[in-house]
Amino acid sequence: MNWFYTFPEMGTEALRALKKGIDFAFRDFTREYGELLERMFDPLKQFLIFSERLLTDSPWPLVILSIAVITWLASRSTKIVVGTIITLLLIGYFGMWDDTMKTVSMIFVATLTALVLGLPIGIAMSRFDRMQKVVTPTLDVMQTMPSFVYLIPVVMLLGIGKVAGLLAVVIYAIPPVIRFTNLGIRLVPEDVLEASEAFGTSVWQKMTKVQLPLALPTIMAGVNQTIMMSLSMVVIASMIGVQGLGQPVLKAIANQYFTLGIFNGLAIVGIAIIFDRASQAYGKRLQRHLEVVHG
Amino acid sequence: MTNQRKLVLALTIVAATLASCGKKEEAQVEEKAVETAEATCGNVTIANMNWQSAEVIASIDKFVLSKGYGCDAELVPGDTMPTLTAMMEKGQPDVAPEAWINSVREPLKLATDEGRLHVAAEVLSDGGVEGWWIPKYIAEANPNIKTIADALNHPELFPAPEDKTKGAVYNCPAGWSCQISTGHAFTAWGAADKGFTLVDTGSSAGLDGSIAKAYERKEGWLGYYWAPTSILGKYEMVRLDPGVELDQAAWDTCNSVVDCADPKMNPWPRSEVFSVVTDRFKQAGGKAYEYLATRQLDNDSLGKLLSWMTDNQATGEAAAEYYLKNNEATWTTWVSPAAAEKIKAAL
Repeated sequence: MNWFYTFPEMGTEALRALKKGIDFAFRDFTREYGELLERMFDPLKQFLIFSERLLTDSPWPLVILSIAVITWLASRSTKIVVGTIITLLLIGYFGMWDDTMKTVSMIFVATLTALVLGLPIGIAMSRFDRMQKVVTPTLDVMQTMPSFVYLIPVVMLLGIGKVAGLLAVVIYAIPPVIRFTNLGIRLVPEDVLEASEAFGTSVWQKMTKVQLPLALPTIMAGVNQTIMMSLSMVVIASMIGVQGLGQPVLKAIANQYFTLGIFNGLAIVGIAIIFDRASQAYGKRLQRHLEVVHG
Repeated sequence: MTNQRKLVLALTIVAATLASCGKKEEAQVEEKAVETAEATCGNVTIANMNWQSAEVIASIDKFVLSKGYGCDAELVPGDTMPTLTAMMEKGQPDVAPEAWINSVREPLKLATDEGRLHVAAEVLSDGGVEGWWIPKYIAEANPNIKTIADALNHPELFPAPEDKTKGAVYNCPAGWSCQISTGHAFTAWGAADKGFTLVDTGSSAGLDGSIAKAYERKEGWLGYYWAPTSILGKYEMVRLDPGVELDQAAWDTCNSVVDCADPKMNPWPRSEVFSVVTDRFKQAGGKAYEYLATRQLDNDSLGKLLSWMTDNQATGEAAAEYYLKNNEATWTTWVSPAAAEKIKAAL
């Protein structure tokens, strides 16, 4: 009855051999393809550096003005714009401007990447059920796998810094865009689609003129979630050398600098609220506009 | 307290009795072990710091204290600053087996003067060695690079990840005290003027990853690291000679302090690494404290152990048993003959 009490495991030796085998295989892979992969990601790295320089090197009043204009265009709400300006001024006043700009740049590129990759995948998923069956579990893995598990191999392949950090953020933050795009398109009522078919739409017209516009509020909710989740990855990303608000937070954790931690934590929250309110207000405006159309 | 202990004992016995349905003999042994533990040593929490050498030493301590001295030893996760602060303020955990005390000298002295903490054995007899290191293959290919200043004359050998025209010095993880000293060294040696940037690594995983990546592809790497570590056991690195004598006063007032406007070139002093024990456990632990006040490892044997551990992907526990099995001559000098017998029996 021994097997009943102790789990019949595969044995230390075999397990160790397995682990070693996988490790060595991965090491050979890095030696073989590491440089090639790194070069493939070079354009992305240049874009990240460009975006960061743009935000950190521009004069601060100009940056605040542009962010305020963007929030105004998205939300058309004086309250949100004033809140944005005050938050940014406070962040600057407390000496966190550079770090905040680095973080904003990272989040911006991460969100852009997530959109560029996520929207087509979400659309394809809504069209092909088989694709959905494959993608859904993959997204589950991406959202639940502890980041450091895949960060170490990524660092081995691409080195520490922005690109590895961006990958980590995108892997964690892309699922909402994909899921919500898929969901939004699937939720478009059947009768609307039939009506559009009755007018003789092509597949492309149906997608761009009917399905995507009707799904847009749902997709915006996904984008909003993506931004929030990428902000929550800031500290993790800083653990592999991404600069920004995460670095002082790490410093605060290691040294128990309570105030430093709170300040930088609040700065992350501040940006999160700006992005959240602006993108939500934009989503709501889209919805209102659509309601009027279908009155 | 006594009521609580009785309760714990009673619960253990109940649990043991329940388990005895299947394993009668073992349950009796367990009961006995609990009794003797109560008599001699009691509970002890050992800080399992989040780096490899500390994990091995904590595991060795756990094995020796629980098997040899009958303590009810438990490992709790830790890190230098949080653990030592908790020990000073709350008296928990009881033992920090590998405390790098350079960064906490002042508060630690205060706590030892007040008798709340005790500094036991100097657990690493060679101490911790810090500095800037380069891979061995770079040192062999460029025999003229011996000192930090030599290395800084060759930014092209150590390209920065985000700007290939510059050289990179990989910094110590964010928030560690070596981040301050490395930053000051970077300024003092005028590395920025020689075309170098200081690269933030964020965490020890990031720093290790950057070394591993460079080594696998035989690329240049220059940065802060320290011994004893398995990374240095696994990837052969050469420590650059700072080329100047240590000025301890300047180190204390400037090189290790955040607000130092004009740091001078100064080598890293040898770090003293001690075991720190709370007053409660020194009183309650009896003979177990004597063990903590004598056991000592040198960097060489520890480095070998760590590289065995990495090669075999062993846990701290397995490495501790491996060490105790293979280094009987050393560890028997740390413990009383009676305890040595018990440990040998348990191996």
